[in-house]
Amino acid sequence: MDLSDLLSPDAIIPSLKANSKRQALQELAEKAATLTGLDERQIFDTLLQRERLGSTGVGNGIAIPHGKLANLKRIQGLFARLPKPIDFEALDDQPIDIVFLLLAPESAGADHLKALARVARLLREPGLAGKLRASTDASALYAVLTASATSNAA
Amino acid sequence: MLEAMSLAILIGSLLVVGAVFTSLFSARFGAPILLVFLLVGLLAGEDGLGIEFSNFAGAYFIGSIALAIILFESGFETRWQTLKIALGPSLLLATLGVLVTAGLVGLGAHLLFDWSWLASLLLGTIVASTDAAAVFFLLRVGGISLRDRVRSTLEVESGSNDPMAIFLTIALVGIAGAGAARGEEQAILSLMRSLVTQIGFGGLLGLLGGVVIARIAKAVEFEPALQPIVVLAFALVLFAATNMVGGSGFLAVYCAGLVCGNTRIRHALAVRRFQRGMSWLAQIAMFLTLGLLAAPSDFPAVLLPAIALALVLMLLARPLAVWLCLLPFGFSRHETAFIAWVGLRGAVSILLAIVPLIGGVPEGRAIFNVAFVVVLVSLIVQGWTIGRVARFLGLVVPSRQGLVERIELELPGRGDHEVVAYRVHPDSAVGRGGRIPRWARPSLVLRDGRSLRFETAGRLQDGDQVYIVTATDHIRLLDHLFARPAETAGDAALFGDFGLSAQARMGELGDAYGFEVPEAVRGQTVADVIRETLDGDIEEGDRVACGPVDLIVRRVDEDRDVAEVGLALERSGPRPRLPLFQNRREIAAWLRTRRAARKARRDAAAAPPVPKRDDESTKVGDNAA
Repeated sequence: MDLSDLLSPDAIIPSLKANSKRQALQELAEKAATLTGLDERQIFDTLLQRERLGSTGVGNGIAIPHGKLANLKRIQGLFARLPKPIDFEALDDQPIDIVFLLLAPESAGADHLKALARVARLLREPGLAGKLRASTDASALYAVLTASATSNAA
Repeated sequence: MLEAMSLAILIGSLLVVGAVFTSLFSARFGAPILLVFLLVGLLAGEDGLGIEFSNFAGAYFIGSIALAIILFESGFETRWQTLKIALGPSLLLATLGVLVTAGLVGLGAHLLFDWSWLASLLLGTIVASTDAAAVFFLLRVGGISLRDRVRSTLEVESGSNDPMAIFLTIALVGIAGAGAARGEEQAILSLMRSLVTQIGFGGLLGLLGGVVIARIAKAVEFEPALQPIVVLAFALVLFAATNMVGGSGFLAVYCAGLVCGNTRIRHALAVRRFQRGMSWLAQIAMFLTLGLLAAPSDFPAVLLPAIALALVLMLLARPLAVWLCLLPFGFSRHETAFIAWVGLRGAVSILLAIVPLIGGVPEGRAIFNVAFVVVLVSLIVQGWTIGRVARFLGLVVPSRQGLVERIELELPGRGDHEVVAYRVHPDSAVGRGGRIPRWARPSLVLRDGRSLRFETAGRLQDGDQVYIVTATDHIRLLDHLFARPAETAGDAALFGDFGLSAQARMGELGDAYGFEVPEAVRGQTVADVIRETLDGDIEEGDRVACGPVDLIVRRVDEDRDVAEVGLALERSGPRPRLPLFQNRREIAAWLRTRRAARKARRDAAAAPPVPKRDDESTKVGDNAA
């Protein structure tokens, strides 16, 4: 198991500035649009629709927004750290500062759920959030995310 | 004379002290504490340290008073809500269940021993009741949080089935005593009549008496220390008076306890604490006395057949009775199996075993010894395995709230407000800097031996003692703030990867995760589907399979409705399935398929088979549990 198949080194935002949940999702959609070449608006709407079912803030300051897109080619991850934590309507009411966005093609089916479960499990690993919060540059963050994924597989 | 009295007091109190001290060890080994009391009595008795005690009438007298106190307390501790959930099933178990168990055990005894039918049935009724003390103790102190409906059913059943067993036993001894003097028909008729008066008077006088006791305890201001005494004395008055007019005194005190415990009386906390203490003392006294009474040197003669009978009771009679009684209520197989297994026998059975001895039934001594062995086997085998069986059957509810360190202090004269003191734990919501709501403003904070006003104390620190004046109903909410996080709280395996709004529509959920939802279900909310699948019995941690994912009940509200839902991306593995205890729905489904199969076979003989349509590939809302 390795997150590098979902996450490329350029899909890391070490410092995402946002004041609200909506703004954060907008920024993420914009970045995802440049990565995938899809319409920013379409991505944003998909994410927003998923949030309506219940916040993807999973607690401990972590959020994993996700959604399915019709003309996406492959499962695409995007990681961001927020220097200023924002309210994400998370279940434990804690503001979030770590975001992992996961987009999947409409046809991905079970692969979508598997990838999502992997991301969720990885971010739950004890100590990982601390490491992510301690790193400030993109390559260090990428190393933490992929290194821990390989150790997890062992 | 004086010396003899001192000696009696010395021995009696030493036994109590010994029993209480041994209970410290029993907690470590997980042995049922009552078993320990019984063993202390046996050890001190004629075959152990040599205390001679064979006064059966005296033992029966002590045991009856003790049982009345215990039953009053178990009623006192039972909440209306518990009763409401469990009334139907436990009433059936306490009546029909006792009859079926007694009948089957009687049959077994007739085959195993060379006894008359009457004596065999007598043994059946003696061991037919589930022991309230044993069940309450194991469920409350055992440290497992069980599914609410299962726990409630067991509690109410064990509290309310003693009167039935007592009645049947006394009636059978009466018939044995009267011999064949009267016609059989007449005997049965008078039996029925006395059953109706026993239960009717017992229940009615109990409820009425309970209302009267609660009224008095609410209206009259006694010296606070006397309040609990008055309540208990009234309960015993009710017990004796009901017995004298032909009702069941045991049923009456249980009902009275129910009413009193659910009424806000003066000094309720003090009364409750006193009741608990008295109930412990009653249990110790009862088990010690009964242990002293038995002569273990007589046991080997009946040991093997008695153990066989215990197995008949635990593996055949009780399970069958429970299954029959629970059929109308839609319990799952696992729940039925567990309720069947928690049929612990205890002091009531031994107490009832004295009745034939007093009544002069020829097989009396043998009945007493067999009953004693059956109780021992049940306490050891069932008592020791309850926790493991509950976990194996998946009936333990994962706890989302950890330990709370709370002390309740009573405010004089009022029933609806209390002072509660919490110790702040660094990992609790408050300890991590959470806000305390306005309605629960602390009056006082104790820190390092100094008392501070909450306003000047600043942020609460580890080890602070916080005193809050609050309405009694709010304590549960406060517990949330001061509780340590439960070990399982963040466990995604138990509560899912993501949270879902209970109002989320099934259709949108299916779209977001790529599984098909039937048109009829699309408009329903997640909570609707859970409610429908679980059929009213909703508990935190319950899972409902839904396409490729599991919906999980994260929290239920006060009305036992779905408040928060979790989403698990991976389905849980299948749980062990028992081949027994099919419930009503499963039996109906089995009959339907049988009928369909027979019809298909008949049709196949007449015409070539028609290809079956496959329309069950994406079934939503089928219960994984």
